Amino acid sequence: MRNLIKLLIAGLAALIVPVGSAHAHLIGTRFGDFYAGAFHPLTDLNDVVLWIALGLLAGSLGAPRSRWLVVLFPFGLAAGFALAIADGTNFSGDVANATLIAGLGLALAAGLRLPAPLLGLVGFALAVMRGIANAAAVEPATNLVLFGAGLACAGYATITLTMAIVIAFRRAEAGATSAWRGIALRALGGWIAAIGLMMVGFTLAGPGAS
Amino acid sequence: MRQFAFPLGTALRGGLALAVFISLSQPAFAHEQAGIAGGFASGFLHPLTGLDHMIAMVAVGIWGAQLGMPAIWVLPITFPIVMAMGGVLGILKLPLPFQEPVIALSALVLGIAVAVRLKTPFTVAAAIVAVFAIFHGYAHGAELPHAANPFAYGIGFVVATGLLHLCGISIGLLLRWPIGDRLIRGMGAAIALLGCYFLARSLGGMA
Repeated sequence: MRNLIKLLIAGLAALIVPVGSAHAHLIGTRFGDFYAGAFHPLTDLNDVVLWIALGLLAGSLGAPRSRWLVVLFPFGLAAGFALAIADGTNFSGDVANATLIAGLGLALAAGLRLPAPLLGLVGFALAVMRGIANAAAVEPATNLVLFGAGLACAGYATITLTMAIVIAFRRAEAGATSAWRGIALRALGGWIAAIGLMMVGFTLAGPGAS
Repeated sequence: MRQFAFPLGTALRGGLALAVFISLSQPAFAHEQAGIAGGFASGFLHPLTGLDHMIAMVAVGIWGAQLGMPAIWVLPITFPIVMAMGGVLGILKLPLPFQEPVIALSALVLGIAVAVRLKTPFTVAAAIVAVFAIFHGYAHGAELPHAANPFAYGIGFVVATGLLHLCGISIGLLLRWPIGDRLIRGMGAAIALLGCYFLARSLGGMA
């Protein structure tokens, strides 16, 4: 009997182990366009690095200066997306993206204290630009409202979470004698600036440059 | 006559174990990595798989920790930026003579600086490190256009370099203890010796 149980367990294990996980999500249904809009920027390093760089910079400036971005950034993405759909505007902007990455990184590394209106303007302009760029993924059958909503939600979640994490990270240091958290953020700015600088060089003068 | 008894139980258990073992195995993905993953992996591994790069980057962090404020935080912030400038030179394929010997020399010089706990003015230390950063960046940047995903490759090698600095700074924390100071100096001497070896090898390759 014991052997039979062992045999059953081993047989069951042999059946279960190779089975992959089920992809039981709504991607294939009508709501899939929302996910397509939300995930499209998260699979593009241009968006990921730019959004995180902006979130880090905004968070390092503190909540009073950066809170407008929570509204402006997703609104800018939706506005850029709508503009591209309505007007047929096309913008890939590799050089502009790389320059923005380098600029945001340098601002973070240098510890620049950008005023709130300038930060809002930069954030909004960046969001419009990336909204236009993301509209290139739209196909004829895509539900534009769902795609745009997904894009704006992804932007809102990313920028808000990044800023919140940075603000919480810096707040833990308030009153402490050492300021290593601020230094770590600035070092991260140095990394981002380095990535941006290299991509500026690559897009302007690399093998694929026109 | 001795009867042969087939060990059915053992054979069954063995067979079952084999079945489980086989079922656990995954299909081999015997392909080169491509796209973002491949680009990031190759960029991340580039500074780590070159021992001359790796020891020099760790030495930068340790020396920064030895020099104290402001070097301990200015060097990790500015090094990647200066290195990126070298990377752009590499992307542009502008000729930069003696790359390999200078990279080896960087390990030698930085190793000696750590071993003797060299105290230089901050500007001098920054200038030394900046020159070496250009050469290290050039070597990485020259590979960037050939990467599966150049953007991801750039991210990979900048992150790896930054983490190596962090590793060096963390080792530098050992300075708090007298034994740690000796240990760090010993590491500096080892880095310098390795730098010496790489320098001799690169000069031998040039001859």
